[in-house]
Amino acid sequence: MPYGPEPQTSGARRQGTLAAVVMMAALAVPYGPQGFQQQVALMLQGSALAPFIAMQARLAEGRARAEQIDFLQAELDSLIAETATQAALADENRELREILGLGDRAGPRFLAATVLRPGTPGSESMFLVDVGAEQGIAEGAPVVSARGLVGRILEVRPRSAVGMDWTHPDFRASGMLADGTAFGLVENMRGEFREEDRLMLNGTAYHETAPRGGLVVTSGLGGVFPRGIPVGRIDATAEVQGSWRKSYWLQPLVDPGAVTHVLVETSAGGSDVTDMWMGDAAVAVADSAAAR
Amino acid sequence: MARSLGTWVLVVGLVIAHFVLHVGFGFGRGAPDLLTIGLLLAAREVGLGAAAVVGLLFGLLEDALSVLAFGANAVTMTAIGIAGAFTRHLFVGDSRVFVVSYFVVGKWMRDLLHWLMVGEGLRQPFASEVLGLGTLASAYAALIGIALLTLMGRAGERL
Repeated sequence: MPYGPEPQTSGARRQGTLAAVVMMAALAVPYGPQGFQQQVALMLQGSALAPFIAMQARLAEGRARAEQIDFLQAELDSLIAETATQAALADENRELREILGLGDRAGPRFLAATVLRPGTPGSESMFLVDVGAEQGIAEGAPVVSARGLVGRILEVRPRSAVGMDWTHPDFRASGMLADGTAFGLVENMRGEFREEDRLMLNGTAYHETAPRGGLVVTSGLGGVFPRGIPVGRIDATAEVQGSWRKSYWLQPLVDPGAVTHVLVETSAGGSDVTDMWMGDAAVAVADSAAAR
Repeated sequence: MARSLGTWVLVVGLVIAHFVLHVGFGFGRGAPDLLTIGLLLAAREVGLGAAAVVGLLFGLLEDALSVLAFGANAVTMTAIGIAGAFTRHLFVGDSRVFVVSYFVVGKWMRDLLHWLMVGEGLRQPFASEVLGLGTLASAYAALIGIALLTLMGRAGERL
């Protein structure tokens, strides 16, 4: 049987005796007075174990702070979400106030309606309004907002109607400069992307010059739209054909995607609505829309 | 002398690491029982009496955090210290088999003795506490012990 070396500091007998004494002391520890046990425990906790206990306390504090940060972050996210919702509400509120102002000027001829967009593929440029035949809405009725022309009604149901806005490829409207100096046909010109869709005032006479920023309104010719609904502002010359015709790009006054509330003309329509937008407030709204 | 000093440095490091992991970070059973590994290493360096003293100190340190079974660790670690030192009379300790067995049996005996000492009211079932978790903890301790000795370049030397 191999042996390991004995420690040179003490003899085997001394070591054995010491081991026996320590073992007996250890055996006495569990049966010692509770006060003594507590004193030993407290002494060790306050000395040798103190750094480790402090470390645990700091880590626990750190974890609690991390949880607090998570909680605060969640609260911040909630506040941001709520603020975003309120911004949408404020926007809707502003639009409703504009419509209310316009509605007062329009009288019973126009009905207020809420715009719904299906958002499904193929339904671009189309919208639903919550008024229909029972409210006196007819096919082809103009749909306007406080800023100007949105589109027209295509299909009427008893309590709802389907309309198209000016971004639809089939959109056409007879237009003219607000001062009546140039007439043409306002039509949608599709870009490669939907964001590139523009309006064009087409077929104006060559000798009539439309100034940049000039307001274009519906002319009432053709009977689809009444005279005087703002459509857009002259942006640039698009095309000059020979010496007999010009066309102009228009800056639309209405962003159809942002419209949530509109006025729809009832079948008791007339031929001229210029007064609805030609008041000071309406002009300011149109100007601010153009600035945007 | 240098070898002995290195062992004591390792033992002190193991004690600190044990309490950092178990008390500081609160890892519980997820962390290895470095205190027992340290005691088993220290016991091979000293005589029976000194090993008993080291075991008693280590046991009291653990008992200081044990509210209901104060003294159970003191008795257990003292006994393990004495037993570890006694193996020096029986084995040279230069084989890998011995070192692995030493750690496995040492840790398992520590768990068994502690299970016996804590009293019936606090005991978990023997099968789960000693046979199950105790065996796993023994293998864990042996793995860590061997890894430490290998890192210190003492894998093939006498323990």
